Amino acid sequence: MGILLEVQDIHTFIGQFHILQGVSLEVLEGSITALLGRNGAGKTTTLKSILGLTPPREGKVIFTGEEIQGRRAYEIAAMGIGYIPEHRAIFTDLTVEENLRIAERQKGDLKRKADFIYTLFPDLKRLSKLPGGHLSGGQQQMLAIARALVPENRLLLIDEPSEGLAPILIQELMEAIRHLSAKVTVLVVDQNFQMTSRLADRYFLIDDGRTVRGGAMADLLKEPEVIRRYLGAVI
Amino acid sequence: MKRYRATLVFILIVGTLIAGGYGLFGPQKATAAVLSGLTLAALYFLLGAGLSLIFGLMDVLNFAHGTLFMIGAYVGYTVFGNPRLILNTAPLFLALAAGAVAGIRLAPLIPNRRVGLYLLVLAGVAVTVWGVWGFPLRPLVAFEPTTAGGAVSTALAQEPLSRMTGRLVQLALAGLLLGPAFARWGREERRTAPGWRPAVLGLGLALLAVLLLLGRDVLERFLLGLSVDVRFFLALVAGAATGAALGALLETTLIRPFYGRPVTQIVLTLGLMFVGAELVKFIWGKEGRPPMAVPSLFAQSCRSPDLIAWLTERCSSIDVLGRAFPTYRLFIIAVGVLILVGVALLLKYSRLGMIVRAGVQDSAMVEALGINVRRVFTTVFTLGSALAALGGVVAAPFVGVYPEMGGIFQLQAFIAVVIGGMGSYAGTAVGALVLGLARALGDTLVTTGIALPGIEQALRASPAVARASTVLIMAIVLLVRPSGIFGRKK
Repeated sequence: MGILLEVQDIHTFIGQFHILQGVSLEVLEGSITALLGRNGAGKTTTLKSILGLTPPREGKVIFTGEEIQGRRAYEIAAMGIGYIPEHRAIFTDLTVEENLRIAERQKGDLKRKADFIYTLFPDLKRLSKLPGGHLSGGQQQMLAIARALVPENRLLLIDEPSEGLAPILIQELMEAIRHLSAKVTVLVVDQNFQMTSRLADRYFLIDDGRTVRGGAMADLLKEPEVIRRYLGAVI
Repeated sequence: MKRYRATLVFILIVGTLIAGGYGLFGPQKATAAVLSGLTLAALYFLLGAGLSLIFGLMDVLNFAHGTLFMIGAYVGYTVFGNPRLILNTAPLFLALAAGAVAGIRLAPLIPNRRVGLYLLVLAGVAVTVWGVWGFPLRPLVAFEPTTAGGAVSTALAQEPLSRMTGRLVQLALAGLLLGPAFARWGREERRTAPGWRPAVLGLGLALLAVLLLLGRDVLERFLLGLSVDVRFFLALVAGAATGAALGALLETTLIRPFYGRPVTQIVLTLGLMFVGAELVKFIWGKEGRPPMAVPSLFAQSCRSPDLIAWLTERCSSIDVLGRAFPTYRLFIIAVGVLILVGVALLLKYSRLGMIVRAGVQDSAMVEALGINVRRVFTTVFTLGSALAALGGVVAAPFVGVYPEMGGIFQLQAFIAVVIGGMGSYAGTAVGALVLGLARALGDTLVTTGIALPGIEQALRASPAVARASTVLIMAIVLLVRPSGIFGRKK
């Protein structure tokens, strides 16, 4: 597996605050990589820095062999990165279908992907004429993921997908992510360690804006001490 | 039920206004007031639509919007009545722009960018002043409104071609010096090579400048020889185009560097409002001008009994329940409705509209989908500016043109947008309607007074009441619904 995305020692500021103070990670093509860390460790900012929404001031972001730090977010996204932010950020005034159509980068993207998307999330087809704001939390999460699948993306950045979802929906969501990982590489952030530990095959651990560890998820699971120290989770 | 609450509030307010009007003044005066109200509403809407879309999408409170309305009115008025001014000044602007477009290409040649750029801008401004020094603006502007085929009174105002050619060269040089300031520095510049398009654009602009200058006499005779209707149409197009061009320039040069800094933007656009008003006073003088001539469809001095008869008789007024109502105002209402529907269709069915609706909610997410949001911002700003300027031209035969018109109409448009709900398109239409009706009924109240039983003289209010009525309505609406009728709590 080749390296699809490489982040080298990035530093990101939000206003006066030095949020990321040296984050490095790499995402192998075809893998599901989890970004772990406590609340406020800088996981969301890392995703936003990769995409250029909060551009890093120092360091490099390399996607498909090209340095992309400093480019505008829309140019980075158009290279094939799909973003599924916290709180879903679906467009509440647009219908479900429009929410998908707006993500088209080429005419006909939605038509080409409709089968794949509606097989993965059958509910969305039934709801397609409804405004996005009328969907339930789970349905909105499905829509946010589906939206990122419309164009030809090579990498998905998924932020807190399980947030606010009932356990049964989380199961369904995990199935969906695992299913789509056959086609696209995934970098996922989630507080729910139970879920990410079962979903991801690789991980990077961020603490206080710095990468502290990284490697195979199976190896991390052998070190309950590390998990307790950095994540507060007990397995 | 909850979904329709806003609509109910709207119907309630408008219903109260109209019913109140009929109760107080009787059907004859009330109908006239409602029609006048619709006229005002159409103008408020043309201004407010841009204000609201720009605020909704970019969080920019554009205080210069009324200025664009006023400049549109002045440009339209000038194209209609004094094309000589346009034909003599447009080549100068075109030469400057042509130079600037070419100058962008020269940016990488500057050795010390920081210092070099300042020096170049200083030199560019100096050459610009040199280029326009002594330009006979005053005699060119001094004109009387002309009728079809009429001539401009200032026959000798133009400078000879040789002098004008010299000015063109000077301004093209000034543009060349100013151009590098428009180039984008840094990484972006290296990646997006400009290619051949700027060169073609620059050459095209320069060619157009020369052609306009050489053909200025022929063109002037041709333009003034056209029928009033065609000249009016040209005025609409030229006004809107000027508004669009100014809007695009404003957004890309002055607004764009300050996204995310609302206070800076407010102070900036507020400053532009004053600059614009002073500029217009400098060019066209402090005095306003009487209403522009209307197209032939509204020109015959007679009164038509009904709409069908008017279409054949082309009377300037029409009989509404025994009272005369100027037909041109029906045209204003029609333009308002046309734009309302047109923009609504654009928002609902086009991809641009879809992106705008999404961007009003979350423009960062739109960008994260791979859409160049900045370009959408520029497009919307340009479109909104064009609508405002179009509104100005449409208003010119109704209220005339005067330097204060921008501020006056902008204030009302702001109130309309606030009543309707900032950032909501439907809300803007509703706000404009409520405000127009309130204003017209308030005016009727002032002029006729209320006849109460038992009191011999009708109760009259001072004109200030009519003006205050709009603010009063805003206060009431905001007390009941702090985010406006169609607004959402943020």
